[in-house]
This record gives sequence, C-alpha cells and structure tokens, in this order.
Amino acid sequence: MKKIVWIVIAVVTGLIVLAGYFFQAQLGPVLSMILDWGILLAGAAGLIGVAYLFRMHLLKIIQNKKGAFYSGVVLAAFLFALIAGFILTPQNSFYRHLILNVQIPVEASLLAILAVMLLYAGLRLIQTRGWTPMSGAFLVSAILSLIIDLGFVQTRSGTLGAELIALLDRLPIAGARGILLGMALGGMVVGLRVLLTVDRPYGE
Amino acid sequence: MTWSLVGWILIGLSAVLLLIFHFLLKERKAYHVRRFPAVQRLKTSRVSALERGMKRGVFIGHRLWSRSYPGLGLGAVSALPAFMDAESASDSGQRVFTSEGSLLMLARQIALGEYQGGFSKTLNDVLSGLSLPGVSPLSFTAGMASELRSQPYGSLALFGNYGTEALLWTEALADQGEFVFAGAGSLSSQSVLFLSVRDLLMGEEVFTLPGLIEARAANEAGWLTEDILRLLLILMILVGAVLKMAGAL
Repeated sequence: MKKIVWIVIAVVTGLIVLAGYFFQAQLGPVLSMILDWGILLAGAAGLIGVAYLFRMHLLKIIQNKKGAFYSGVVLAAFLFALIAGFILTPQNSFYRHLILNVQIPVEASLLAILAVMLLYAGLRLIQTRGWTPMSGAFLVSAILSLIIDLGFVQTRSGTLGAELIALLDRLPIAGARGILLGMALGGMVVGLRVLLTVDRPYGE
Repeated sequence: MTWSLVGWILIGLSAVLLLIFHFLLKERKAYHVRRFPAVQRLKTSRVSALERGMKRGVFIGHRLWSRSYPGLGLGAVSALPAFMDAESASDSGQRVFTSEGSLLMLARQIALGEYQGGFSKTLNDVLSGLSLPGVSPLSFTAGMASELRSQPYGSLALFGNYGTEALLWTEALADQGEFVFAGAGSLSSQSVLFLSVRDLLMGEEVFTLPGLIEARAANEAGWLTEDILRLLLILMILVGAVLKMAGAL
C-alpha cells in the first residue's frame, strides 16, 4: 500500500511536468514549483552523496584498510576546503585562487593522461577489434578527419575538391544527428515506460 | 499544425503502443529479435567472476539527467535491477558505482526493493555494495582507478551518462585481462570506448540492455514501440527530403 502511494505521487508529478511542456500558460506556475522542488531534492541528494563519500573514507581510516593514507589526505583537503569556504565564502578571490590553483592543474594532468591513453588505444584499435568493416571505417574516418582538420588539403572554393571536403566535414554532423535521434527515441520510450508504470525499477 | 501538437501526437502514440504491446506480450512473449553476443559474454563474465571469488562492478553514470542526453540516466536506473540478482547478494561481491547523489539514492532504493524479500539485512548488508568514489567525473576517475587497483575485479559493466574519462578505468581493467562491457550512450564515450572495449553497445542499443539481460514483457514492448517509431521517423525524414527536393518545403 505504502509503495502504491509513492508510485502514484511519482506518476502524477511526471505527468504534470510532461503536460507542462505543452500547456505552459496554464501549468507554468505549477511546473516551476515542481522544478524548484526537484532542484531542492537534487541538492539534498548531492549533500547525501558528499556525506557518503566522507563516511567511506572515514571508515577506511578507522578500519586501517589499504589506501587509508590517501583517504586521510582526501578528508583533510575536504575539511580544509569546507571550513575555508564557510569562513571566507566562495566569492572571496583568495579562496577561489587557493582552490582553483590546486584543482585545475590536477584535472589538467588527468586529462593529459587521458590524451596519452587515447593515442595508445587508437594505436591498438585493430589489435582490440580486428579487421572489421566498422574498425576499418573508424580508422579511415579518423585519419581523414585528422588530415582535413589540420588544413593540409587546400582547395579553391567552387571546385569539386572543395565540395568533397565540405561533404566530408558534414558527414560527422549527420552521423551525430542520427545517433542523437536514436537516443531521443530510446530516452522517450524509457521515460514513458517508467511514467506508465510498465517498468518499475524501484521494485515490483 | 504546431510542433507542440506533433510532440503530443508522438508521445501519445508511443504511450498507446507501449501499453498495447505490454498487455499483448505479457500473455505471449514473442519479440525476441535482438541478439548481442556482448551481453551474453557479460553474463558469462559475471558468473565467472563470482566463481573465482572476484568482484563485479556496475557503473551507472555521472548524471541522472542532462539536456543533451535526457534519457540516459533513467535508462541506467531502469537497467540496474537486472544486475541485482540473488547471486550478487549472496557473496557481497557486487559494487555499484556512481558520482551523483541522486543516482546513489535511486540505486539504494532499487537495492532495497530487490533484496528485501529474500535476504536478511543482518546477514548481508547490500547497501555496502554502493560506492561513490568522487563527486565529479575526474575526481570519480581518481577514486575509481584506486578502487580497481585495490580490489580484484573480474567484470565491469558501464552504462548511463558518462564521457571520455571512462577510457582510464576500462584500460586499467583490460590491462589486467579482465572483462569490460560498456553501454556508451554519449557521443564522446562512444568514440573513446570503441577503441578499447570490444563488448560495446552504442547509441540507442544501450536502452535495450535491461531486456537483453532479463527478458520481460515491459522490455520487449519497449523494443517493439521503439522499432515502430524508428520506422515512422525514417519514413518522415524520407518524405521530408523528397518534399524539400520538390520545393514543397
């Protein structure tokens, strides 16, 4: 019985939000109120997530598990950023510099590692997937895009070559649109399945 | 005819089709048209990891909702119950990863809903299987890399909304010779994971995952509805292109 109440609340809220997109004049105020509640709930869930992360690292230290030292560093950094943020406020330029000058280099270094890994994985493409039409097409389009984007091929406008390059430039956009259309259809059907309670991931 | 009306017609048609097919297929499951060997290998790898006493990881994404991919997070939540089987609870070896609080809360709700009927909480705390190694994609990557190194993982399944950073975890596990499966919905994740993950579902295929793992009328009704909508869309694009060429649009 308790579960049915939650299901009804979820379905009615979902249907109101859906209808609100089409009847904005009539349902505008209700829609903005529900969205405000949603933002509030998402914020609360974010706080729970942070608390969960804190608890996880704290338990690691207490139980002296492998990597407890790193958990200590994480918690110290977290508490420092939190307390400094409360005292100085996030608008304070000293605080912003302090945080961003740590965060940006660390994230940039991770992205640099990612770039190297991408190159490495690209070189191993055939080893991973073998010679298939898909892997061949991927390889050819990657090399073609690289050559065209680097500007090595120069053509005069109005010529067949220029048209061909423009076509090759447009091809990824067409492919992306196709994928996004498929994703939109899939997303809509999943949403409707949950909304119509055909699918109940929260339990039967 | 306004775009609002077109939207209503599309959504209304999908809802009607979904309900009709759900009731029809509930009586007689008959729409088994999809076969993905990758999903079969995922199932096998999970059993193999269980038998070898290794952990199984399931990642459900970084975001429940985003403007670019609004259905991906919900798709991941919808697929999660298929991974919450009795075997997963029996050895506490399954870990569900995410970097967002709302996804964590939903995963917790699903875990409670799936296990409350058959398992004692005192015997097996399923909630300890939920993990949030970081709250942003890159901090999550750092936490996840450390997790994959510190514990023996025999299988990792990724789905939901994530980006290029997934390459770092998949390579970490693939280097150890363990199994990685990915459902890549976003364009960025598709482009990087195509390079490193052999067992990969791309684009709209990710929404078929729950039905491929656990065949149910709801999933098959979804497939059939999606297929009909896809055909309609193709037809509309073709008609639109012809009309445009004829100068009528």
